[in-house]
Amino acid sequence: MITLYDFELSGNCYKLRLLMSILRLRYDIIPVDFFPGRQHKSDWFLKLNPFGQLPVLKDDDLVLSDSGAILAYLAKKYDETGQWFPNDPAITAEILRWHAIADDITSTASAARLALGFDYDFDVPKAQAGAHRIFRLMDEHLWFGEREGRDWLCTPPHPTTADIACFPYVMLSEEGGIGRQDYPALRRWSDRVRRIPGFTIMSGIFPAGRALEQA
Amino acid sequence: MCHPTSPFPFRLSRSNLTTMTTPDTLTLNSWQVIAATDEIPVGSITRTTLLDTPLALTRDRDGVPVVWRCTDEEPGDEIDPETILDRLPVTTGYGFVWTSLGTPPKELFSITEYAEPDRVNMSCGSIGIHVSAPRAVENFLDMGHFPYVHTDILGAEPHTEVKEYDVEVSEERDEVLATRCRFFQPRAALSATDGMEVEYVYRVPHPYCSVLYKSSPEAPERRDVIAIFLQPVSEDRCRAHLLQSMIDSTSTITELRRFQQTIFGQDKPILENQYPKRLPLDPRSETPIRADKSAIAYRRWLSQKGVTYGVIPAAG
Amino acid sequence: MTLSLSDSTWYPIASSDDLPFRHVYQGQLLGRELAVWRADDGNVNVWENRCLHRGVRLSIGINEGGELKCQYHGWRYANRSAGCTYIPAHPADAPARRIQNRTYPVREAFGLVWSAANDDQAFQPFPGAETGDWFPLRPIPVNAAPEDVLAGLIGLAPDDQPADILPGLAVRLGHAHYFVQPVDSGRAVIRGVLAGQPEDAIAILRHYNETLTKLRDRLERAARKKPAPAPLEPAFEKVSVDLATMPDIAIPRGNTTTVVVKRKWTSADGVIGFELAPREGHLPTFQPGAHIDLHLPNGLIRQYSITNGPGDLLSYIIGVKAESASKGGSKILVESVREGDLLSISEPRNNFPLRRDAVRTVLIAGGIGITPLLSMARFLDKSRLPYELHYFTRVGEQVAFRADLESLHGKVILHTGLARTEIGQTISQALGEWSHAQHVYVCGPSAMLESVRVTAATQGWPEESIHFEYFKNDKVIDDSSTFEVELARSAMTLQIPAGKTIMEVMREAGLSVPSSCEQGACGTCLTGVIEGECDHQDVYLNDSEKRANTAILTCVSRAKSARLVLDI
Repeated sequence: MITLYDFELSGNCYKLRLLMSILRLRYDIIPVDFFPGRQHKSDWFLKLNPFGQLPVLKDDDLVLSDSGAILAYLAKKYDETGQWFPNDPAITAEILRWHAIADDITSTASAARLALGFDYDFDVPKAQAGAHRIFRLMDEHLWFGEREGRDWLCTPPHPTTADIACFPYVMLSEEGGIGRQDYPALRRWSDRVRRIPGFTIMSGIFPAGRALEQA
Repeated sequence: MCHPTSPFPFRLSRSNLTTMTTPDTLTLNSWQVIAATDEIPVGSITRTTLLDTPLALTRDRDGVPVVWRCTDEEPGDEIDPETILDRLPVTTGYGFVWTSLGTPPKELFSITEYAEPDRVNMSCGSIGIHVSAPRAVENFLDMGHFPYVHTDILGAEPHTEVKEYDVEVSEERDEVLATRCRFFQPRAALSATDGMEVEYVYRVPHPYCSVLYKSSPEAPERRDVIAIFLQPVSEDRCRAHLLQSMIDSTSTITELRRFQQTIFGQDKPILENQYPKRLPLDPRSETPIRADKSAIAYRRWLSQKGVTYGVIPAAG
Repeated sequence: MTLSLSDSTWYPIASSDDLPFRHVYQGQLLGRELAVWRADDGNVNVWENRCLHRGVRLSIGINEGGELKCQYHGWRYANRSAGCTYIPAHPADAPARRIQNRTYPVREAFGLVWSAANDDQAFQPFPGAETGDWFPLRPIPVNAAPEDVLAGLIGLAPDDQPADILPGLAVRLGHAHYFVQPVDSGRAVIRGVLAGQPEDAIAILRHYNETLTKLRDRLERAARKKPAPAPLEPAFEKVSVDLATMPDIAIPRGNTTTVVVKRKWTSADGVIGFELAPREGHLPTFQPGAHIDLHLPNGLIRQYSITNGPGDLLSYIIGVKAESASKGGSKILVESVREGDLLSISEPRNNFPLRRDAVRTVLIAGGIGITPLLSMARFLDKSRLPYELHYFTRVGEQVAFRADLESLHGKVILHTGLARTEIGQTISQALGEWSHAQHVYVCGPSAMLESVRVTAATQGWPEESIHFEYFKNDKVIDDSSTFEVELARSAMTLQIPAGKTIMEVMREAGLSVPSSCEQGACGTCLTGVIEGECDHQDVYLNDSEKRANTAILTCVSRAKSARLVLDI
């Protein structure tokens, strides 16, 4: 039985809800009052994750933390297609590269959002500039991908956990005052992610319209 | 983490500076919400901004809030509240601290239900939004967006109709009141053809505050109360302080907060994508429909009261 | 050089490739934000990025193929016209007023999408543009003043091959043309095109991308050292006075448009199709169920439903029944009007609005009554809303618009050659028992309308869920009353005797009163009522509109009170 320690407005928690929705996994949610209750720093939570960070996922007796690590775990354990985190060494390296970039997006775009929305004392201009730097590179990568027939962040012709890991804080960037007008390829990729079968929303992210097959 | 170059949680941009105005008298002399009382540290400083004015706040050993105009205090600094002499007026109400940059009235508007002993009262967090306070009030009064913004929670397509409802401006209480507000909410799945119609009452007892009443599932003859108190940070930014006062003996505070934050988190991107950020009071600046009756009344009420902060006043 | 909000130069604002199927692109030109989207018919729309209702950016909305849907309240705006076609909060009402978003001129050419702040200049291709094939480079946004970006591009030219400066912030450097899109006073996008299709496209694209990225970094470093220029501050235009309040019923205006008969064909046995196109641009926004008045060469005016789907405004397609017994109206259309002829049409009017808030929609058509229902089916189809279309004809050859019906994705059922009793049974089965949020729309012969009405009522369908349109008023008009009419704005009082209509008496008094069917069916003569109680005898107003007592059709309706005050 899977249990997710979850905060609705957290993009990192949403990464796991999103992958579990796509993989059609059943799971329980234990809500954690991250804001304003700061329960992720409470004694009971620190016993689960001494780093005091969400999300935490329990699978029977196994306790895991870090959204990127848990994405890899869920894909390896439950994705029968083997597509979301393929076994190929080169692709594994590629995905982990993007998991690391996802963490950079968290420390920039998400930091700006926490500062403006949730009163965190972070350096907003610095966080915003950092996010723009990453988005520029992502836009370039995705733009050339479109020319080369690659729709997703990594080489395989289907999405991987890399796309799931990067998606939430790209989509929530406007809450941190980071517009995406200058990143048209990034905006198109976000449409594609939102059209993955089994996609689910979180507060702050709207679904994309259906892309009907052209009649 | 302190950065001497950015003392504010955000840096005032050029356009903020150009639109910065002296607040109107009413706004200046009103009580304005600034924090949830429980979230203010005792003996150390936290900071906030009200009407473009940086404020520092703390609580003394008895838990009583102290608020003053901030100079060079940094958040987290320890302070003995006794040393603060030049204080701003303070009142507490509904779990929040209210202050004023002018001369406030004796009392805050009333929400009588809050004092009922069996209610679960809670703040649901204070969330910064890049929009003016009146835009956020108007969104709170709006039902037409339920199926599109709060899909499958407060509404779902195809049930989109906003039925006729009543709006009045109560002269006696000087507030906008919308009654008989009914909306069809799907019971469970989108495919369910039966659902139920809920009935809401909305009050706007303060230019930047609104209170919603809806019948409580647990005690149908009584009403749950959800309120939004907006702290006007600047003309185009505010902080939303959310209050729930519920008849609910089963849910935990964390669950109740989560529900309210989910709803508000869905409104946030809509509000932050609204232009202009200040609420335009000229009837010709946007296109109202019958469903917007309460918003029309609210805009007119703001005009008549002479509120100019956070709005674009109608010319002439 | 300073940028001006009223600069009428055409600038590229996107690449063609930026607008894939069902996407909304966010752009900006001279400080104005733009929502740019390609409809399923290929047309590119460039609109102000702001819904007229509550100012929400349309770039967070949904491209539904023929309409753009605002994320806040689901308002739909039509491809090409940007006219509002549906307001979900009031699903039973046709948005009668012309709510129309601000649009900007658009041209798609040379792999780019071009637009301008206003219509003052015609689009002019850059020198040499028409001669070749163009290959767009990756656009590079730069946080620097557009004129500095242009200077930077000029500086890329080698000494022996100086840059060729072109009008409109553009420059030619060897094989490459660069256009600087002035996003705002301190922001720009470099949009380049190369002549011809290169062999190793990716390598070429990467090469230029690298060169332009380096230029961008240099320009931005320099820009950071200068004070940031004040951003342009475009104003939002005000909506018209009549949009600032919402009347219950719209009084139609007498505007007409000239159209060309672009195509005339036999759609089915006894049904002639006409395609009516504007002489330039597109036709006005219409809603499903709407009709136009067609002014015929012999002076008659007849109403025809528009069969088109959402955002389909390049021409209206109507179906005309070729009746041997027909007098004057459809006869002249069928027999004398030819392709290439000019006709005059009214603006579309909707007396048969389609609710899009049903969990089940049943469309029932008899014969030529298919026309409004085809339009409705197309709208429901695009939004993937559930519907069933039942189409009754005497013989299979009479099935009009067959190919269009076959391209629908919903349930389309043709019923041919059924006997009267079988038709009744089929209707009864098609309707089924009523449950919440089910609606039926019917258009066809009077007997069919009556049959649907009666059957639906006995199967529990409430009145407000049964929708039908009369093309003619079959009611017997009772013109026995006598009363007084005061014309408020004309300062005139008239006595209406038995046997004469209000309209006739007004015309005798020298007033010019627009009219069309003169039998209470089309709504052309709708007039506001200020005082008095109406005796409605028309089939145009619905029951609630009749009860509202705020408007009257002067061609058939009369007064119950002794005096009626009209807003005329």
